[in-house]
Amino acid sequence: MTLTGDLKSFSFADILQVLYSDKKSGVLIVEWKDMTVAYYVKDGEIVLARPVDKVFRVYVDRDFEKLLEKLRLNERALAETIKKFLIPKLENRDGIFSFTKGFIRYPDNVPVHFPVEQIIMEASRRLSLEETERKISDELLIFEKSPDWDSRVQRANLSEKEKLILELVDGTNTVKDILEKSKVDKLTLYRTLYGLLSIGAIRRKKKKITRKPSISLDLLAKLIEKIKKL
Amino acid sequence: MTNSDVKKIKIVIAGPFAAGKTEFIKTVSEIDPVTTERKITHSQEKEKKNTTTVAMDFGKIKIDNQHELYLFGTPGQTRFNFMWEILGEGALGVIVLVDSTDPSTFHEARRIINFFQSRYPIPLVVAANKQDLPNAWSPRDVAIALDISEEEGIPVVGISAKNKEHVKKTLLLLLELIKSSIEE
Repeated sequence: MTLTGDLKSFSFADILQVLYSDKKSGVLIVEWKDMTVAYYVKDGEIVLARPVDKVFRVYVDRDFEKLLEKLRLNERALAETIKKFLIPKLENRDGIFSFTKGFIRYPDNVPVHFPVEQIIMEASRRLSLEETERKISDELLIFEKSPDWDSRVQRANLSEKEKLILELVDGTNTVKDILEKSKVDKLTLYRTLYGLLSIGAIRRKKKKITRKPSISLDLLAKLIEKIKKL
Repeated sequence: MTNSDVKKIKIVIAGPFAAGKTEFIKTVSEIDPVTTERKITHSQEKEKKNTTTVAMDFGKIKIDNQHELYLFGTPGQTRFNFMWEILGEGALGVIVLVDSTDPSTFHEARRIINFFQSRYPIPLVVAANKQDLPNAWSPRDVAIALDISEEEGIPVVGISAKNKEHVKKTLLLLLELIKSSIEE
C-alpha cells in the first residue's frame, strides 16, 4: 500500500498524523527540489532520516540493522539525522511524498529521539493561517479532550501558551471563546489546535442529531427494501 | 395521482470537485440523471475532467406510487457553496464522497462535513470513492486524514461509485443511520 501526495496541499503534520494514528511502519520518501530524503518509520515514529541521491537505493536495503551498519550510524547519529534532515524541512512545501507500508525489517527496539507528537506539533507551528483553516474552518467549532489526551500531550513538549489553550479545550468553549479567553493571537491558537487535533489529544465534539428525520419507520423500511432490490 | 401528489424524499450527495458525485447518482438512479454539467474553463480543474456540475444533478428512485427518493448532487467547487445550503434544506441525510486517490481534496471534504454538521445536523456517511484505483488511500487512512474519530459517529466506507452494489451499500448504511436516529 502506498500513500502519495503533495506537501502543498497535504502538510507534514497531516502525513505524520496518518502514520501515527495507525502506528504504521515503512518508509516515507519525500522528493524536495534540492534533495530526496527517506524517512524510516517504525510504529508511527520517525527513527531515521536518510538523504538519497536515487530513490531506488532505499529499496536495496530492507534490513534496518544492516542499513545502520552500512551507514555507520550509532544511536546518537540517528537523532542527528532527524535534526538535520527533518526538522528544518518541516516548512518546505515544495515536495511530493510517498509512503510504502511494511517493506523494511525493523528490530524490536529502535530508539526514538524525537517523539512523533513533538514533530507533529513542530510541523503545526510552521503552518500558515490559510493552512490551519483547513482543519479549523469555523470559529464556532467546539473541541473536547480525547480520553487519552494526557499521555499524548506528555510526549508533545508543549509551550506554556499551548498548555493554556489545551486547558481551555473543554467541550463547551468555541474556538472564538478560546481566542478571547487565552488572549493568544489567532495564528498561534489555530496552529496549536491543528497540532493537538493531529496528535489526537483533542477531537471535534460530536454534534447531536437534533432534527428528527421527517420520514416514518414504515416508509423507511419500504425504502430500504427498494434499495436492496435495485 | 399527479406528480405533485408524490412525496419527495431527499438525500444529498456532496463532496469536493471530481469526487465522483455525478457517477454515484448515475449508477443507481432509475431515470437518466438530470445534470447541469458545463464545460470547464479553469485550467487546473480541466486537468481532472472536462465538464462539471454547476447547479445540481439529480437522480430518482421510485419507492411506491406515493413516494420517490431524490438523490441531489451538489456542485463540488467552493464558489458554488450557496447551492449546498439550498440542497441541504429538508434532506434526510448526506453522503459525502471523497476521491481516495487525491489527498489534496481531503481538507475540502472535511470542510463540507463541517458545513453540513453545523447547518443541518442530520445523519452523514463518508464514501471513500475510487477504491478500484491502485493509488487509492484506504478508507481508514481517509478517515484519519479527515479527523473522523470513532466517537464522531460518521461511518467511512470504501467504494467505487461505478459499482452498483457499492452505491447501494452506501445508501443502505445511511438509511440505517437515519433509522437509528428516529428510534433514539
